[in-house]
Amino acid sequence: MITAASSLVPANISSSLEDYLETIYLLVQQQGFARVKEIAHAREVKAASVSVALRRLAELDLVRYERREYIALTEQGEEAARKVLTRHRLLTRFFEEVLQMPADAASNQACAMEHSLTDEAMDRFVRFFEYLGSCPTVIESFRRCPLSLAPDKAAARKDSNCATCRAHSKVETMSLADLRPGQHGVVEHINAKGALRQRLLDMGMLPQTPIELERAGLGGDPLWIRCQGARLALRRAEASSIAIRQLP
Amino acid sequence: MTATALTLVHDKVTQGLRIALAGNPNCGKSSLFNALTGAHQHVANYPGVTVEEKRGRTKLDGLNAEITDLPGTYSLSSFSPEERVAEAELATHPDVVVVVADSTQLKRNLVLLVQVLQAGANPVLCLNMADEAAAAGQRLDVAKMEALLGFPVVETVGHRGEGVSALKAAILKAAKQPLIKHRLVLGVEFERALTVIARELPTEEDARAHEWVALKLLVGDPTHTARIATRKGGQGVIATALAERARLETLSGLEIAVYTAERCFGFVDGLLREVSLHPARANARELTDKIDAVIVHPLLGVPIFAAAMYLTFWLTFSVGEYPMGWIETAVAALGSWVTSLWQAGSESPLRSLLVDGIIAGVGGVLVFLPNILLLFFGLAFMEDTGYMARAAFITDRVMHRFGLHGKSFIPMLTGFGCSIPGIMATRTLENERDRLTTMLVLPLMSCGARLPIWMLLVPAFFPAPWRAPAMFGIYALGIGLAMLLALVVRRTVLRGAEAPFVMELPPYRLPTLKAVVRKMTERSWLYLKKAGTVILGISILMWVLTAYPKPESFKVDRDIAAGTLTVSDDTTLTNLRAAEALEQSFAGRVGKTLEPVFAPLGFDWKIVTAMIGAFAAKEVFVAQMGIVYAMGNVEEAGADDLRQTLTRHYSPWVGLSMMVFLLIGTPCMATFAVTRRESGSNKWALLQFFGLTTLAYLLALVVYQLGSLLSA
Ligand SMILES: Nc1nc2c(ncn2[C@@H]2O[C@H](COP(=O)(O)OP(=O)(O)O)[C@@H](O)[C@H]2O)c(=O)[nH]1
Repeated sequence: MITAASSLVPANISSSLEDYLETIYLLVQQQGFARVKEIAHAREVKAASVSVALRRLAELDLVRYERREYIALTEQGEEAARKVLTRHRLLTRFFEEVLQMPADAASNQACAMEHSLTDEAMDRFVRFFEYLGSCPTVIESFRRCPLSLAPDKAAARKDSNCATCRAHSKVETMSLADLRPGQHGVVEHINAKGALRQRLLDMGMLPQTPIELERAGLGGDPLWIRCQGARLALRRAEASSIAIRQLP
Repeated sequence: MTATALTLVHDKVTQGLRIALAGNPNCGKSSLFNALTGAHQHVANYPGVTVEEKRGRTKLDGLNAEITDLPGTYSLSSFSPEERVAEAELATHPDVVVVVADSTQLKRNLVLLVQVLQAGANPVLCLNMADEAAAAGQRLDVAKMEALLGFPVVETVGHRGEGVSALKAAILKAAKQPLIKHRLVLGVEFERALTVIARELPTEEDARAHEWVALKLLVGDPTHTARIATRKGGQGVIATALAERARLETLSGLEIAVYTAERCFGFVDGLLREVSLHPARANARELTDKIDAVIVHPLLGVPIFAAAMYLTFWLTFSVGEYPMGWIETAVAALGSWVTSLWQAGSESPLRSLLVDGIIAGVGGVLVFLPNILLLFFGLAFMEDTGYMARAAFITDRVMHRFGLHGKSFIPMLTGFGCSIPGIMATRTLENERDRLTTMLVLPLMSCGARLPIWMLLVPAFFPAPWRAPAMFGIYALGIGLAMLLALVVRRTVLRGAEAPFVMELPPYRLPTLKAVVRKMTERSWLYLKKAGTVILGISILMWVLTAYPKPESFKVDRDIAAGTLTVSDDTTLTNLRAAEALEQSFAGRVGKTLEPVFAPLGFDWKIVTAMIGAFAAKEVFVAQMGIVYAMGNVEEAGADDLRQTLTRHYSPWVGLSMMVFLLIGTPCMATFAVTRRESGSNKWALLQFFGLTTLAYLLALVVYQLGSLLSA
């Protein structure tokens, strides 16, 4: 995991120095070494400016000279560079994937933002983004949600999955107990606790698993469902802890 | 064979292999266990829990092997006693663990395999129900599966014993070449988490269980966490596990249990995709669906259920009557034969012990054996066909209202016949709390042995038009109290989160006669063996209580000698003497001592003494009442006299109070013995005995006191 709050990088390092680190890191990754000439070329600056920056970085113990002209990152330097790079990539992806901006605009925005975030803000942002990334349904439902789009397109798409949409369209979240015999759905998540939760998981009621209510007992309880190829009986109260999305 | 393998085999020749069978419920594990072990089995309860412990012996290519049939579980999550027992058994590292899987339900069944692997076992995978899978059109590349998994995989048809020799060979092969490292692929992040945690485990932890303990800590299993917490360095590893959990949860956006399950199912999915040659047809289970459309039909379901129950009970209690009669005759014949060994009129205590104590006591319990056999035949048939689960589906709504389970219904219904098979039938309940609750309240179902009591008391104390309602009332009171008490028990001694009902409804299968008979005899044998020993002991105790101390001389004789009493015939004299003897006996003395305690209920010492007798078996109450009133051993013919005597001696309120007490209080000794055996501890049997007796006392007290107030 990326720990942006890492104390390895001196706090006072300037944004341009960070850019240098990033460049050196990428060059080393690509060709195994970095020289002043190439750094200057990549950053579109004069060789002299590069030397100044390098001296400063060396003082901070972030780079060292292998041989004349050949520059390598120290362990700390590499760590710092990776961090900068990660921030950059993360921000780019955020603008591009979540906010759906064009690729180059996203990258520019990321460049502009990456140095101005404090470590703490960045750390929190990283966590948030990791969460989004790990749970694609969140991003998907955000994209589908009318609020994420220009108002004119919004009306066309509604999603029962998102609280805002629900407020707009008055579609309640469903549980398995809300199905009528013969209706199908897909498991969204399980709200049960403890033994019940474990048993449901053991039965394979994982998110995105198709599930069907076949029949109900006399008086509507218990329910007879089909899931993962097996027939199961569960009480209504238990079934209502299984949030589902109904399928037509 | 390598040198180490040879030494291993050498060791095992002397010690024997230890093999465990693990598998989901209904995967055909018992069938395989029977096929593997034949008749060499031993069934017991794990100490303190209601879980059955089955062990058996077999020979594998000349090697001795002990096979343990683990309780059927869906996972090793340690939420239920079954799961804990299975986990504990695996922790003893059997040489080979055979994971039995239902081939038609592989996806879910193989998740258990994943856990068994994580627990560090040396497995063999047994794909049972291969016939059904083949019939459904499913084909698997078993050789490839074996290659991918790295341990033997065999297909079997458990109930027909097909593939069992291949299974035995596979077990031997696995024993000779143990699996060193499993090839589970559960994802880089997940595995890294386990490695990180395992690295920090205290060194004294069993090395083979490192991954397992790490997994348990990761998912926050309370038992393991508590155990590790007390170890040196334990806090550190628990903190690491917490951190890893947080990491995985953020990474995946899933709660750890869901994430773990997803990983396992993912692995199984992948494996099945690799080895599937042809999937099962989508309509493979049509027949079961068609049957279910009728069996659990909203309108037909209940009548069909009622008919099935009626049939079972008719079989049990009507057909059972004939062999019952034979046994009674045989016991009586044995009694008179033993009696004939002594001189007529001999007062030998040994003879009395044998005839009145042991033969009468054990015989009285043996008499129920036909009932028990037949009932268990019916239950085993319903279980093995898959109907039992449907019956539970139909009855759960009513039972659940009272904190019971759908599967409690049949045992409780059985209780109207006899509490003992009823209590034993609670084995079909998987959940310990449900099972104990059912067991505890079951004696409130008015059993067949109490019928003679009602036949005696109801006409004695109720005018003709009130007799039928009184009978009905007594049964209804029993049912009502059972339900109420179940609720109370669930809120007090067996309090706790409700166990999930979630019940699998297996496909209908035609069971083999052999399997059903086996299940029947197994359970009946348990009844005879274990309950038998306790009952023998109590029988002897009851005999001593009612037969000793013997009076030096009888007052009747003295009165006759003094001329103050004339007795017309010998029978009357014998009866009077018997009444005196009982009065002088421990039981009579206890009855007299307890008289003040029971006086508020309207009971005199005679009733109390007869009730002590009723502990041996409920119907003994009638006989004992006969004896205290010097009417001899009351059979049907003599009942009318006794009835009149009772009407003369006691008010109807005493009668009612007596009925209430006999319905609720002092379950018979067989009930006590069986509850003790089935619950695995004295605690529950004692609680049942004293709980019910206290309740009986209080209710009888209320009845008598209110009645006396009203009639005053
Ligand atoms: N068709 C088929 N039925 C089986 C097989 N093995 C067991 N059975 C049946 O499945 C039912 C349940 O079997 P049992 O051994 O009691 O399962 P357990 O609950 O896992 O112990 C019984 O009716 C068995 O006769 C098999 O391989 N094929």
